Amino acid sequence: MKSIRSRDVPIAWMSLSLSAVAVLASLSGTIAAQTAIHEAFPDYDPPLTAHGTPDISGIWQSFTTANWNVLSHAVQPGPFAEITGAWGAGRAGLGIVEGDELPYQEWARAEQMRNRANRTVVNVTNDPSRFDTGDPELQCFRAGVPRANYMPYPFQIFQTPEQILVVYEYKGAYRTIYMDEDRPAYDQSWMGTSNGRWEGNTLVVDVQGFNEHTWFDREGNFASDALRVTERWTPVSPWHMRYEATIEDPNVFTRPWNISFMLYRNVETGAKLLEFNCVPIVEPMMYEPLGFLDEDVTND
Amino acid sequence: MTIRRPALVVLVAMATALSAQTASSQSPPPSALVNQQSRETVEAARAASPHTPESTFAYFREEAERFLAEATQQIWDPTAPREASPRTSWGDPDLSGYWLNVAYVPLERPDELADKALYTEEEAITAFVRWATRDASVDPATVHYDWTEFGMDNWQSPIRPNRRTSLIVDPPNGKKPPLTAAGQTRLQEQARRHTLESRGLYERCIQGNQGPPRVPFVQNTGESQIVQTPEALVLITQANSDVRIIHLDGSPHAPESVRGYLGDSRGHWDGDTLVIETTNFSEHRKWNGSAGSLHLEERLTRVADDTLLYEATVTDPTTWEAPWSIEIPWPRMEPPGLFEFACHEQNYGIINVLRGARVRAAEYQATQAAE
Repeated sequence: MKSIRSRDVPIAWMSLSLSAVAVLASLSGTIAAQTAIHEAFPDYDPPLTAHGTPDISGIWQSFTTANWNVLSHAVQPGPFAEITGAWGAGRAGLGIVEGDELPYQEWARAEQMRNRANRTVVNVTNDPSRFDTGDPELQCFRAGVPRANYMPYPFQIFQTPEQILVVYEYKGAYRTIYMDEDRPAYDQSWMGTSNGRWEGNTLVVDVQGFNEHTWFDREGNFASDALRVTERWTPVSPWHMRYEATIEDPNVFTRPWNISFMLYRNVETGAKLLEFNCVPIVEPMMYEPLGFLDEDVTND
Repeated sequence: MTIRRPALVVLVAMATALSAQTASSQSPPPSALVNQQSRETVEAARAASPHTPESTFAYFREEAERFLAEATQQIWDPTAPREASPRTSWGDPDLSGYWLNVAYVPLERPDELADKALYTEEEAITAFVRWATRDASVDPATVHYDWTEFGMDNWQSPIRPNRRTSLIVDPPNGKKPPLTAAGQTRLQEQARRHTLESRGLYERCIQGNQGPPRVPFVQNTGESQIVQTPEALVLITQANSDVRIIHLDGSPHAPESVRGYLGDSRGHWDGDTLVIETTNFSEHRKWNGSAGSLHLEERLTRVADDTLLYEATVTDPTTWEAPWSIEIPWPRMEPPGLFEFACHEQNYGIINVLRGARVRAAEYQATQAAE
């Protein structure tokens, strides 16, 4: 088992990508702000798609710091701050969790602390023990749900009558929300299996079928493969969409818990989702400790 | 597209293909390793196996015969008149759905067919049956990648016969134009060796084996989905779950400084055809000796309800002396959906691939030193 060394800290790890988002509110999606949000966006009826459902297509991004920690947190230097300085630092933020606490079972709270302690320990193996340590994001693994929705990267929603496709700039990962008929989770996956339906102006999505490797944040908050996420996506203005989710995982938590934050539409002229293929970025971190980058065979 | 019932041709061709089977299976497959010991390994495995191509084919014979009877009902005939494309509710040609990039026809035309761009229908069926029959016969050296068992042989897909003798339709000789000197150098640099950086982009899970452009792999890994809206067409390939967003909004390409492994795609309609221009490829992308200078034009046309015609022209004067073009009909599939292909997350293989390659490389060095 090897820790990454400071010179190997990948760009992927750093929270650099504050690309242009509709900066209509400078507040993070905070608990305190929720009441104000409801008051600020009363009775909005979104435009409809050609097939008659609310139109939520476009490029969206959250404005939270929840990818560092879904709970409220102080400012923190990044790991290897001697190299990454203010680039690697995490700013303080208010949490996105209702009540600002996570109802862990006792063993799971200890597991989260182990995750936190080992979040930069990357151990590349050819078996599932590779998932025992290290934040999945650090290693360019898929982020899972709900994390992908509040990472500091934009994502784009495409709507057809049968499906809603969500493409995330982070890793170019995507998920299909089936709207025509529910699909069972044929197998476990990082992004889960999503089945959706409209309740008025709210898109309600049931996400299940996760594997046991996803984290909620860089703090090591985690779920098991029993995770079930019920998302509620509600457009509240042409440029804002409220995101709420109920998290259930009887293997890890003592009760369901809720998160809530705002998504902002990217209204920059010509804005497009760009390619963030982090695999080549993390290769030196992951494979150099195995000696695979050396040109000289006899050095093995 | 031509519809016909060539049952007798199929049976005769199958018998011929099987009798030719033993001889054809003697040549080893292309090896990813760095010296010839891999050939010895494969031959030793074949010698040690209790099976033969005939015995493995016997296992799948009934299934293969059913497939051939069905698949040879339709032949891709590029000279036949085409149906008008179905349209979306907003009036664009409808390309949405699940489509399979698959072919038995080789990329380049074999020398013996030098002047023959098109088979007759009977020849196309004979060739198809020969390829499919060999495909259904497992190489006894196969241990790990027994594609047939996993349903990943081409004959286990909706593949159909094709009158083309090569996927390359231009130059007219059906072969890639010569590489430039720079292209030759780059192609050699792109060869797989024993270091991580030298390995293929798919081995490293940086991108799948479905381009762009999409040249079929030898096995059935070409599943894809097209999600279509008025503003964009999203092309998702099962391999590596690669997602290409093809913008239809008339916007210009990204600035030259913004480059990627999948390039930057813009599309526009030309009658029933979607024309996709892709530029801004990463310099680190390896494709047949080309890299960042590749310019790709792809054309997608719904030539029948169950067939999407894929045409691609690659232009890169730094790599080839002339542009070249391919044409592949994609049959429609009706799966429940694509699956998540978390390649990099579970890239267990790359560790032993590299260890093995380094063992081979060390052996090679030792041999060279001894000589």
